[in-house]
Amino acid sequence: MKAKTVKRMVSGTAINLFFVACCFLALLPILYALSVSLDARGSLLSSNFSFIPKEFTLAHYARVFMEEPVILWFQNTMLLTAATVILAMATAVPAAYVFSRKRFPGRTAVLRVLLLLYSFPSILSMFAIYKLMSTLGLVNTHIGLIVIYAGTMSVFALLNMKGYFDAIPVEIEEAGRMDGCNDLNIVTKIVLPLARPTLIVTGVMIVNFVWNEYIFSINFLTGSDRMTLASGLYSLQATETSGSWPVFAAASLVVSFPVLVIFFLSQKHMVSGLTSGGVKG
Amino acid sequence: MRKVLCSLMVCVLFLLTGCSGSTDPQGAKSGPVTITIWHDKEDAVIAVLQEAVQALEPEVTVLFEKKTGMTESLKLVGNDQNAAPDMYFFAHDKIGVYAEMGILTPITELLGEDALAGYVPLTIQGATYQGTIYQVPLYFETLLFMYNKKYMAQEDVPATTEQLYSYMQRKTKYGHYGFVEQHSTPYYAAGWIHGFGGSLITDAGVPCLDSAEVKAALDYHKKFVAYMPGETEYATVNTLFMEGMAHATIAGPWFVPTVRAAGIDVGIAPMPVVDETVLPLAPYSGIQGLHVLKVQTERKKDAIVKVLQVLMQPEVSVKLAKVSGCAPAVESCYTLEEVTADPLIMAMKQTAETAIPMPNIPEMDVMWTVAGDLLTNVNMSGQDIESAAAAAQKKALELIEAMK
Amino acid sequence: MKQSPEKKARKKAAMAYLVSAPSLVLIFLIVVFPILYTGYISFTNMNTYHWFNFDFIGLSNYGRALLVFDSGFLSALLMTVVWTAVNMALQLMIAFLIANLLNVKHLPLRNVYKTILMFPWAMPGYVSILLWKTGMFNSQFGLLTQWMEDISGLTVRWLQNDVSAFICCTVVNLWLALPFMIMIMDGGLKSIDRSYYESATLDGAGPIRQAIAITLPCLKPIIGPSVMITLFTTFKQFDVIYLMTQQVGSQTGAHIHTIITYAYENAFITNNYGYSSAISIMIFMMLIIFAQVTNRRSKEANA
Repeated sequence: MKAKTVKRMVSGTAINLFFVACCFLALLPILYALSVSLDARGSLLSSNFSFIPKEFTLAHYARVFMEEPVILWFQNTMLLTAATVILAMATAVPAAYVFSRKRFPGRTAVLRVLLLLYSFPSILSMFAIYKLMSTLGLVNTHIGLIVIYAGTMSVFALLNMKGYFDAIPVEIEEAGRMDGCNDLNIVTKIVLPLARPTLIVTGVMIVNFVWNEYIFSINFLTGSDRMTLASGLYSLQATETSGSWPVFAAASLVVSFPVLVIFFLSQKHMVSGLTSGGVKG
Repeated sequence: MRKVLCSLMVCVLFLLTGCSGSTDPQGAKSGPVTITIWHDKEDAVIAVLQEAVQALEPEVTVLFEKKTGMTESLKLVGNDQNAAPDMYFFAHDKIGVYAEMGILTPITELLGEDALAGYVPLTIQGATYQGTIYQVPLYFETLLFMYNKKYMAQEDVPATTEQLYSYMQRKTKYGHYGFVEQHSTPYYAAGWIHGFGGSLITDAGVPCLDSAEVKAALDYHKKFVAYMPGETEYATVNTLFMEGMAHATIAGPWFVPTVRAAGIDVGIAPMPVVDETVLPLAPYSGIQGLHVLKVQTERKKDAIVKVLQVLMQPEVSVKLAKVSGCAPAVESCYTLEEVTADPLIMAMKQTAETAIPMPNIPEMDVMWTVAGDLLTNVNMSGQDIESAAAAAQKKALELIEAMK
Repeated sequence: MKQSPEKKARKKAAMAYLVSAPSLVLIFLIVVFPILYTGYISFTNMNTYHWFNFDFIGLSNYGRALLVFDSGFLSALLMTVVWTAVNMALQLMIAFLIANLLNVKHLPLRNVYKTILMFPWAMPGYVSILLWKTGMFNSQFGLLTQWMEDISGLTVRWLQNDVSAFICCTVVNLWLALPFMIMIMDGGLKSIDRSYYESATLDGAGPIRQAIAITLPCLKPIIGPSVMITLFTTFKQFDVIYLMTQQVGSQTGAHIHTIITYAYENAFITNNYGYSSAISIMIFMMLIIFAQVTNRRSKEANA
């Protein structure tokens, strides 16, 4: 009995050490950015770097909030993100369910094509997307970007959720049908609660994509009052002639923070999603 | 299922009504006119311009919009009346591309033939593409030889490249560097090639990467590179100089305020002369100015002309020079005391005699990449100059052919 | 009210398409149409000199595009395959290990670890790459370089030769991609019925045996689509390699080209949209072939 406890302690310590090392690696560049953003001397590079700033200052963060319309960018990003998630999920969830559960002609072909479409870098077709948006009169509008983002992420959302729906046994639904549920009821009452982890993962992926996307927004939007956080950050980028590394580092961390919060909040729900359920792989 | 569809439609409708309508209607025929100018400049520069155009209100309001990734966006929107700006404020090196695309209005069409008579020749050279002027230059920058007075004494400041080399040999040790530059970046390294009488590309758009001059320059330059750090991008080079680890460097005027803020007593000297050719290192220079988009010209010609005229006043140039650290484009400014008293501006004016504006022909777009690859291959991967130059020349020709 | 089976099947198909229509229309608009349009442009001479007045010039762009597919392209293709294989293998192995360890019993700090491991994923990609390049690998001031000097006294130019630059790019790519993979695997592990393990333990199967016999087969269908998606993301990766080693003005001397960076340097900088569209379409064709090969290998895609 005692040997077992010792063994468990040893392996527990080893696992914890492993994770501490992993976490350190995961945080390394971020700690670096944090230190640069808090240091008054103000350079990304230095011949004797330390993680603890030598001259502590919050001035760079103050500059991010005072001199740049960060609050406005934040609002824009929130609007874009929320609208994209709603649009993409509202369209992709029913589609993913149908492609997972129903058998109909053309199904396999569409799925194959979707996977291929995902392989095409959307950046290569930016010019065509611009032409399309320009024809629709949606250049320099947020709705244009929402449609682009939702369309781009739809392929991912559909495929990703379809895969998870596949893993939910049909028997559960059949049981529901016996109890007299109709299709809609089965989906909303049985399937969606069971699929909560994938709904959350997919949603968070979309949030993350929209939050960090800058190429389309810098090309399709003009004027700093329409910009998103990521494109605003991109415009702050430290280049040779303009910008300052510490401010850029500070802004990067400010931009990333909300995504972390969203992730943190969603994580709890992911855990509770399936552990108690009787889903068998 | 219907419920899902319905809620979806509601969502879409909500989004449509909620977000559209934010496109601003442009160009009312009469009444006040708004002129939109895209730019990529610092706030201080724009403040000067904004103040100058205040005089035109209320008939003409000028809206300066900072645009990231401007060069790509102009390609997309250049012909789109609803999305294109009226003007843009940028360096001159994209003029050829946009002129060939047909999105720029020649300046002489707006202001008359002689409007730019009193400008520094270098700036007119940069603003002209195939005999037509497409830019109103406001100021220009050239790269400068900078040294740290703490380490490099007045008598050590090299007049020739050999003196520079011997200084580097003596001082490059214990983590210190005698001289650093972005040796594999074409914008910087072109100075060496010009110092050998060569060039990356002719005015007619023919690359000359395998010319004898370029190869001689690469070969000569290589012995300097041996005394410089491996990394070539600006962050490394500038940090070395700011931390006092590099005694001298070549950098743009924008770097001076940063250096002074870092507590370095910086000196500016003329570019060293190449011993063999007796030509100074002649770096590229950039001419910053206003370009007018064709698609907006017809409707807003009068307003555009007014804005240009206001911004062309010498006083504006002088103020801009102060805040940007660059040199005014108007020749008459150099008689004013506040300009002549500034050693930095005068050093640039002096360099302007020999400096070469970045080529503004469309072919140059591919040369930046090809020349950068060539420099990297020679300086960092240690490839043989002869074969590397031949390969780069071949690739440049192929790419230029592919442009057409 | 009896319907013929045919009619019923047709109704079922119509219903299925109706329900998925919004998503498919959106995808058509934003993804399919632009690819078709790119195809159309590839038959024209749209370039700097014919920007708005371009003409239809047939297949001649494709004829010229074939020139890009030279020996340099072939080695880039090989590099792309190696890059994808190495990255996917490492990603799957590391993510599997970490996700499993995250699910061991008696790990009170589980959620702390999990949250921290997700951090890289929250940063915008280009910021992270920039931080790695200038903060970690810079040969003068990079943190890793400084540590290396402290340990061994050697100055390493990480990004200068091909092999070490490849390793550095892989490290950065793993750093960027692992959080998603860990999250997917973690979610997958959670959906496996605990009772399988309990009965396996009763039968005397050790943890490794359990991982092979239970975890892997159960995980496969769940993570399959995400793995396919990551595979394509890795295959078309541009940012990591380009920003780390090839960005103009900060090239490092390494020559690792994937097909996308190769095409960029050989076509996209020419401002010739007709020509580069032809190359895009040809790369897309190659991806289709690549996908067919992978599809055949993986049962999952047929499900």
